[in-house]
Amino acid sequence: MEKIIIVVAVLPLVSAFLIQLFGARIGRGIARLSVAATTASFLLSAMLLSWALLGHGAQAISLGNTSTILLFDPLSTLLATIILGISLIVHLYSVRYMAEEAAYGQFFVLLDLMTAALLFMVIAGDLITMVIAWYLVGVLLYFLLGQDTRSQTAYRFAFWTLITYRIGDIPLILAAALLYNAYDTWSLTVIFSEIMANPDAHQVWGLPLTEVVAALIGFAAFARSAQFLLHTWLPYTMDGPTPVSALMHAGIVNAGGFLINRFAPVFVHSGDVLNWIFIVGLITAIFGSLLMLTQNDIKKALGYSTMGQMGFMIMECGIGAFSLAIYHMFAHGVFKGTMFLSAGSVINDARHNDGIPKDELYTFAVEKQPNKSRQPWLLMAAITLAVPLVILVFAHLLIAEDYFQKQGAVILLFFGWVTGAQLIFATYRMRSQNIWRLVGLSVLSLVIVVLGYVFISHAFDLFLYPDAAFRAQLYSAATIDLLRFDVLVGITTLIIVFGWVVTYYAEQNGYRRRQQTKRLWLNFYALISREFYIIDLYTRLTRTLLAISGRLNVWLRWY
Amino acid sequence: MTDLLIILLAGFFLPLFPMSMVFNVILDKVKRSWIRVLLFITWPLIGLFIVMNSNVIIPEWLLPLALSTSALYALRMLSLREVNQWSGFLATSLWALLWLAIMQEASAELLYVYAISMSIPLVLLLLLSAGLEQRFGAAYTDLYGGLARTIPRFSGVLVTVVVAAIATPLFPTFFIMFDMVVETSSATPFAAMSLLLIWLLWSWAGARLIQGLIVGRASDVKIADMDITTISLYSFVLFALAVGGIYLSGVIL
Repeated sequence: MEKIIIVVAVLPLVSAFLIQLFGARIGRGIARLSVAATTASFLLSAMLLSWALLGHGAQAISLGNTSTILLFDPLSTLLATIILGISLIVHLYSVRYMAEEAAYGQFFVLLDLMTAALLFMVIAGDLITMVIAWYLVGVLLYFLLGQDTRSQTAYRFAFWTLITYRIGDIPLILAAALLYNAYDTWSLTVIFSEIMANPDAHQVWGLPLTEVVAALIGFAAFARSAQFLLHTWLPYTMDGPTPVSALMHAGIVNAGGFLINRFAPVFVHSGDVLNWIFIVGLITAIFGSLLMLTQNDIKKALGYSTMGQMGFMIMECGIGAFSLAIYHMFAHGVFKGTMFLSAGSVINDARHNDGIPKDELYTFAVEKQPNKSRQPWLLMAAITLAVPLVILVFAHLLIAEDYFQKQGAVILLFFGWVTGAQLIFATYRMRSQNIWRLVGLSVLSLVIVVLGYVFISHAFDLFLYPDAAFRAQLYSAATIDLLRFDVLVGITTLIIVFGWVVTYYAEQNGYRRRQQTKRLWLNFYALISREFYIIDLYTRLTRTLLAISGRLNVWLRWY
Repeated sequence: MTDLLIILLAGFFLPLFPMSMVFNVILDKVKRSWIRVLLFITWPLIGLFIVMNSNVIIPEWLLPLALSTSALYALRMLSLREVNQWSGFLATSLWALLWLAIMQEASAELLYVYAISMSIPLVLLLLLSAGLEQRFGAAYTDLYGGLARTIPRFSGVLVTVVVAAIATPLFPTFFIMFDMVVETSSATPFAAMSLLLIWLLWSWAGARLIQGLIVGRASDVKIADMDITTISLYSFVLFALAVGGIYLSGVIL
C-alpha cells in the first residue's frame, strides 16, 4: 500500500512527458490529460493520507538498487495531499484561463513538472532527491513566471525569484554534503536516527554538526519562504499568469516551513538556531505586514501579506511549534490561493460596480467615521483585555493542562491575546444600532476561531509528531532563559500598550500633529513607500557587479 | 621544475589564468563550426592526458588558482552577449574545476567522463549558435530577441541546452558539482563555498543569456524554425545526457 506513493509522484511526470511528446496531436486534450493525471494522483495521495491517519507507521521505500528513497510518513502524505489539492484547483482554473495562450501545452508541461518536483521534495527520503527537487522547483518556477515571453518585466522579476532560490540552494547543498560526510549515507531516516541517538557525535568547522546543519537549513528555508532581506522577489512576481501566482503563494513559498519540519530531529538539538529563526520570522512578519498596509497596488499588497504570513510561519517554527507551522501553511495556502484565483473576477466586477455596501464596517474602516457615543471605558477596557485571555486560556486548557509550561505556547497565547483584544477594541467605535450585539458577535467569532485553531493545530501536532516526548523536546529546545523571556514579554507588552495609547490620543486630537512629528511621520512613510530601499540597494549591487564584469572583459580584451 | 612546466603546459588545456586566454583567442579566430566542436571536445582531454601520464604532484597553491580562474570566467560571463564567446567562457570556467577532481584523486576514466559530460552541452550550444548565425547573421543576445515567439521550437531546444550547460539537475555537470562540494565541504570549506558561488554565477549568466535571446516580441520577418528531425536529434542527446547524469550520480555519489 505504502508503495503507491511512488505512483503519486510519478503520475504528473508521465503526464508532462506525454504532453511533450503528443501535445501537437491531442490539441486541447492536453488539459484533460493533465487534469486527469493530477486528479488520479490526488485521490491516491488522499488514500495514503487516510492510511497514515489510521496509524500505519512511517516507511522508507527504496527505488530498486539506487540510493533514491521515498518516505511514507505523516508529513509527506499530508503535504503531498495539500500540494496535489492546490495543484488540481490550479489545473482546473488554467484550463480556460490559459486557453488563449500560444504556449498552452508548454504551460501544462511546466505545471505538471512543478507538481512532480514539489511532490518529490516532500516525499524525498534521501538528501540527493531532496536537493534535486529543491533545485528544480526554482528553475521551473522561473519558466512558469516567464510564461509570457513577450514581457521583459515578467522575466526580470522571474529572474529575481530564480537568483534568490539559487541562493537558497547553496546552504541546502552544503548541509547535505556535511551530513553525508559525517554519516556516510544519504538516507534521511538513518541520519536522523543517528542524530537522535548521539547528537554530539560530530563536529565540523569547530562547531557541533547539528548546529551548523540547522543554521544552513534555516537559511535555505529563509530564501524559499521570502524572509526579510530575501523577500524582494515575492511582491514583484505578479506579472506571471494568475494560476502560477496562486500556486506560488499557496504552495511553493511554504517550502521553508516544510524543510524545517523535515529536519526537526536536527533542530531539536539546535536551540540557539531556533531562537534566531524566531527572530528572523518576527522581523519578517512585522516588515511584511507593515509594507502590506502601505501598498496602493493590490497585488503587491497580497505579496507582502504572504511575506508577513511566511514570517509568522517561520516564527512558529522558531518557538518549537513545528506542526502549527504546517497547519498555518495549509490554512494560508487555501486562503491565499482562493484570493489570487478570484482576484481577476473581483477586479472585473469592480470595474462595472464597486459593490461596496455603505454599511457600518465601511463607514468605520474606509471613511474613518467612528461612533461618537461612548460606553464606560473601564468596562470596555476590561472586556477588551479579559475576554480574549479567558477564551484562549480555556481553549488551551482543554487540550493540555501543562500547555502553559512551554514558552512557545505562551508566546502564541500572547499574540492571540493581543490580536483578540485588537479585534474587540476596534468594534467599540463602530456605528451600530446595538453595540452589545456587535461585541457579542465579535466574541463569538473569536471563540470559533480560537477553538478551531487550537483543536485543529493540536490534531496536526498529534498526527505529525505522535511522540509526546519529542514534541516536548522541540518546545524545550526553543526555550530561552526565563529572565530574558520575561523581560522580552514585558518590553513587547509595553510597545503594544504604547501603540494603543498613541492611537487613542491621535484619534482624540483628530489626527492633528505637531510640525516636528509630521516631518518624522513623512520620513517614515517615505521609507516604507520605498520599501526600506532594499530593492534599490540590490539593484545598485547588481549594476556594480555587472560593471565589474564588463570592465574585466575590456581589460582582458574579451579573452 | 619539471612538475611546474607540466602544470603550466596542462594549464593551457585545463585552463588556468592567464593561460586560459589562449583557448578563447583560438575560439575567436576559428570560424568553422566543426573545428570549434572539435576544439571543445579535445581541449580538456589533452590537458587530462598530459596530467594523467606525467605522474605530476599537484601543489596546493593550484586549488585557489583553479577556483579563481573558474570564478573569474563565471563573473565575466555575466556581461557577455555573444553565444560562442559565452560558451567559451563557460567551458573555461568548467574545465578549470577539473583540477579539483584531479586533486580529489578521481580515476582517469572518471575524469575523461567528467570532461566529456561538461563539453557535450557546450557543443550543442555551439551548433545552435551556428543555427542562429545562419538565420540572423549573428548570435548576439538583445540583437533580435523574441526568439520564443519567432522560432519557438528552436528556442525550446536552446533554453534546454543552456539549462543543461549551467549544471542543472539531472544533467551530469550537476552531479559533478555536487560531488565536488561533498568532497571539499568538510576539509576545505572555502573551496566548497567558492564552488557554490561559481555555480550561482553560471545560473545568473544562463538566465541573462536566455532572457536576451528569447524574450520579446516576435520578428516581423518570417524565419524558418527548427525541423522535427533536428529537434528529435537534440532531444535524444539531451535525454541521453540526463540519463547519463542519473547513472553518473550512482557511480560518484
